[in-house]
Amino acid sequence: MKFDLTLALADRPGQLLRSLEPIAKNGGNIISIIHERDKPVEGYVPVSLVVDFPSHQSFRRTIEDLRKLGVAVIKSEEVVEKARLSFILIGDVDVKGIIESGIKGMHIVGMEVSTSKLGEVSVRLEVEVSEGASEVFEELRRMAREQNILFIPPVHV
Amino acid sequence: MRLCIVGFGFLGRELLKTIWEKMFLLREIDGGFMVVGVANSKGYVYNGDGLDVEKMLSVNALSDCLGFEANPAVDLINKDLCDVIVEATPTNIRDGEPGLTHIRLALSRGIHVVTPNKGPLTLAFRELSSLAEKNNCELLYEGTVAGAIPVFSLVRECLRGDRVIRISGILNGTTNYILSRMFFEEIGFEIALKEAQERGIAEKDPSYDVDGIDAACKLVILANALMKRDVGFGDVERVGIRGITQEAVSLAKKANYAIKLIGTIDRRLEVAPKLVPVNHPLCVHGTLNAIHLETDLAREITLVGYGAGKETVSAILNDLITVLRRRARKIH
Repeated sequence: MKFDLTLALADRPGQLLRSLEPIAKNGGNIISIIHERDKPVEGYVPVSLVVDFPSHQSFRRTIEDLRKLGVAVIKSEEVVEKARLSFILIGDVDVKGIIESGIKGMHIVGMEVSTSKLGEVSVRLEVEVSEGASEVFEELRRMAREQNILFIPPVHV
Repeated sequence: MRLCIVGFGFLGRELLKTIWEKMFLLREIDGGFMVVGVANSKGYVYNGDGLDVEKMLSVNALSDCLGFEANPAVDLINKDLCDVIVEATPTNIRDGEPGLTHIRLALSRGIHVVTPNKGPLTLAFRELSSLAEKNNCELLYEGTVAGAIPVFSLVRECLRGDRVIRISGILNGTTNYILSRMFFEEIGFEIALKEAQERGIAEKDPSYDVDGIDAACKLVILANALMKRDVGFGDVERVGIRGITQEAVSLAKKANYAIKLIGTIDRRLEVAPKLVPVNHPLCVHGTLNAIHLETDLAREITLVGYGAGKETVSAILNDLITVLRRRARKIH
């Protein structure tokens, strides 16, 4: 699991290496590192890291070890990988209802509506799904069935 | 081996023609191979020394052949006049008949069966498989699903150690043709359907195809045969393509998707329209079929080919050759 970390290091030689030791010791794999050496703020240099830890526990231990070393941890949060997916609804679509449905883990990022000459509404919605795409799509499927509209999900969710 | 072809419609005739053309291939495997009987719904012709296939192909109707007997095909099977049958009567998914009776009877008498007939396999897969096993005979049905695509042979012969996790596919050429016309020509469903009917791709009553019935039957056979399920037609959740608007197809296309009627076997058994990315291997157009297999070892394999028409003869002939290879030596 990936975590986003920002550390504030004292602007002295050897600080970066010292701060990386607890990460390595706890099994963290550094994916990216940005060391803004030229932007010290009140004598501190911000370092942004994305680290892949084997578990939440190893992440927590790293944070503890860093604090014991006196390294200030400004930010530490899990990176939630989001999938962007499209689906289509056809029929008497209640777009407002879907937007307000508050399906957990789904965030609407785009929408396109097209109406036929007969007044039938086709809607393509683009959503970001943070966790459990299949559960989100089960919920959408249930909603579509209740409203008697045709639901076209992406293949393989 | 002595073969009887039961069902002499389009496929039966194409098969007989192919057997005649490729007789050398069949005789290489089994020197005693011959076609001894051909039956249709009105009667049959039979000759224990082998029929004159060339002559049979030159007549319009089976009943015009010399020696035609107006007796039911079951007589051919009942009298132990053959070692293998190709059951190619029309598909009937309500009760599987007359194919189901033919296949049951043949297997119970120890006669090998090769069939492209979906009805009996959809309705009685387990029964027929165990009947074949019990009587130590072959039951091969490659032609029932996706015509010429050798999906059963591939999994059984080449993925012996793999576990199939999910199967998804375009299993009906008619609906794929309609959806492809809607995608490329930006026409509505009704117009695309009418065009398919005019071209002989869709039936006058298109419900069997457009409501996903045909695809659902194939899904049942795939699930039972390749994923060890014990499912029937009623277990398939089914949504057809009648409700798909031209506008929906265009919205999908703008976002680099095509709407395809997809059969899926995973947590659920389902035939429904899905958004398929245009660069996905399943995204094939026209009357083509495609089957996407996901397995534990090989991960992903996609097969693409023609799902109906005379290409299906390829599957039937391969099944027939498999029977000859496995069994010819044991009998003669």
